[in-house]
Amino acid sequence: MLKYTFGRILSGLVTIWFIATATFLAMHAVPGDPLMNEKATTPEIRENLARKYGLDKPIAEQYVIYLGNMVQGDFGISFTQQNRKVNDIIQDHFPVSAALGILAITFAALGGILWGALTALYRNQLPDIIIMFLVILGISVPSFVFAALGQLLLVNINQWFNISLLPVAGWGTFAHMIVPSLVLGLGTMALLTRLMRSSMLEIVNEDFIRTARAKGLSPSRIFFQHQLRNAILPVVTVLGPQIAAITTGGFVVELVFAIPGLGRYFVQAVQQLDYTVIMGTTVFYGAFLVFMVILVDIIYGFIDPRVRLK
Amino acid sequence: MGTHKLLEVSNLSVEFETYGGVVKAVRGVDFSVDAGEVLAIVGESGCGKSVTVQSIMGIIPMPPGKITGGSAKLKGGEILGLQAQAANQFRGKEIGMIFQDPMTSLNPTMTIGAQIAETLKVHRGLSTQQANEIASELLIRTRIPEAQKRLNQYPFEFSGGMLQRAMIAQSLACSPSLLIADEPTTALDVTIQAQILDLLKELQSRDGMAIILITHDLAVVARTAQNVCVMYAGQIVEQGSVDDIFYKSAHPYTLGLKLAMPSNVSQQNKKLEPIPGSPPDLFSPPSGCGYAARCPHAMRICHKENPPLFSDARAPHHAARCWLQAPGAPKTQGLYQTNLIASHGA
Repeated sequence: MLKYTFGRILSGLVTIWFIATATFLAMHAVPGDPLMNEKATTPEIRENLARKYGLDKPIAEQYVIYLGNMVQGDFGISFTQQNRKVNDIIQDHFPVSAALGILAITFAALGGILWGALTALYRNQLPDIIIMFLVILGISVPSFVFAALGQLLLVNINQWFNISLLPVAGWGTFAHMIVPSLVLGLGTMALLTRLMRSSMLEIVNEDFIRTARAKGLSPSRIFFQHQLRNAILPVVTVLGPQIAAITTGGFVVELVFAIPGLGRYFVQAVQQLDYTVIMGTTVFYGAFLVFMVILVDIIYGFIDPRVRLK
Repeated sequence: MGTHKLLEVSNLSVEFETYGGVVKAVRGVDFSVDAGEVLAIVGESGCGKSVTVQSIMGIIPMPPGKITGGSAKLKGGEILGLQAQAANQFRGKEIGMIFQDPMTSLNPTMTIGAQIAETLKVHRGLSTQQANEIASELLIRTRIPEAQKRLNQYPFEFSGGMLQRAMIAQSLACSPSLLIADEPTTALDVTIQAQILDLLKELQSRDGMAIILITHDLAVVARTAQNVCVMYAGQIVEQGSVDDIFYKSAHPYTLGLKLAMPSNVSQQNKKLEPIPGSPPDLFSPPSGCGYAARCPHAMRICHKENPPLFSDARAPHHAARCWLQAPGAPKTQGLYQTNLIASHGA
């Protein structure tokens, strides 16, 4: 298990290096540079700024310097936001995205497993048909539609009953998080429901379920002890990438609900060619994704002994 | 045992509804098992032998499966078609069961010990510690070395033979009076097969437990059973003691099975003789004898009317479902004809 974990971490580091290199090259391949947006620049000022940020050096040298700083955990200073360190931007805004993402993935996982198990239990009956219809809806409709609809619904509810059930936008309390995280988790929930359903239906026909019945176990015990745990394995597998996707992909939802998450900076930086912020956020997101996948692999080992012990 | 047989099955009929139509998998099966008896049910694939015992246990998938008639009485009490809660009073407790493929018949994410202990906890209300102690004893009884260590291992860490031993240990947990072994050695290689059969015989003779052994292997039958039911196309075509079946085969199908069996005695001129044709379509079973189309001795009546079970006048437990056993039937070479012998011999 230790060797396995070590191997996974090592390959994760290589992945992060690859992400950093690819982003660096892609970013420099885009025409223009971050200093072009500066107002009232004479060639002298531009040159001075370029020297200050090290942009006058050859690309290869910039790459080496950049990689060196990155290894020490320093992503540099933002080009467009005066004297703001990239590390500070991540530190200030990632926790917001992370909190939203964790709540969203919790909704998605619990909902997905519950609905999936339910549809399998009522296969081809009314509850199954209704839930599977909603699942198709959840998978095909993009999150910004749900975000807008959710907001609209919330405003109407608040107006009709003249109450403040939940805040419509903004950030600060747990109540602010509920609707955005539901909206954010909806697609994943639909995906997991489908996965869980097919997984449950596969397990029902396994020989060991027949053995469990021949042992005289109650249907509920067979369901929870023998069926659910084995059916959950494929769900856990996709959970890792999904956590990362939700946490980092909440840009639209963050925008609609006016949440100060990291997503906004990520997109803005690309528009403004803010080299250091692009690199910082991309590498950080990449590392986060890699970390989540490794974490899920390790958790998988605990659920499935065949992975742990082989 | 009193007046009741341990298990008495009569007129059991089971159907499966499929897209192609209704499959009549079991068509009126009668047999009984005494305490301590080893009964073998033999027949080729698809003859309904597994469906028969799985219906008794109530573990055929329903739907598509459906028990359309008959009864199964365990110590006099009806057990056929019970709801899960009522059925669990005997499943795993009075009747234990082991299956064909031990590799897939155990839960891959639970330790062997936990799976054996589960039965004990559910049926006997034992604590985890007590259950584990008994589980360890069971592994020792089924000859699994290093039982204590093995308890905490998972199925994938066991070999096929060891898994079948663990399955047996699990099914013995509540000291059942009947063990149903559904092709217990089919997935195992020959040496392991012999070991498992020896183990079953040993447990049976020591604990006085009855066994129903489902198999398609006549060698396994000869080695293990006292009594035999030969099944064909969803019906029992011949039943009797092992000696009856092997030395006084009274049904052409039993005879055919024997001729198709390889022998380890070197006989240069002896050829294996396969039974020509294939079993009848159980979507629409023939109105006559199911074997008539393949039978070398078939008569006109065989195609028209399904024969009843004719029993040996001198040994009534030996019976065959064949018109050749009817009084006045023509004499057939190689076939033990009970009524002819009975009437001529007297």
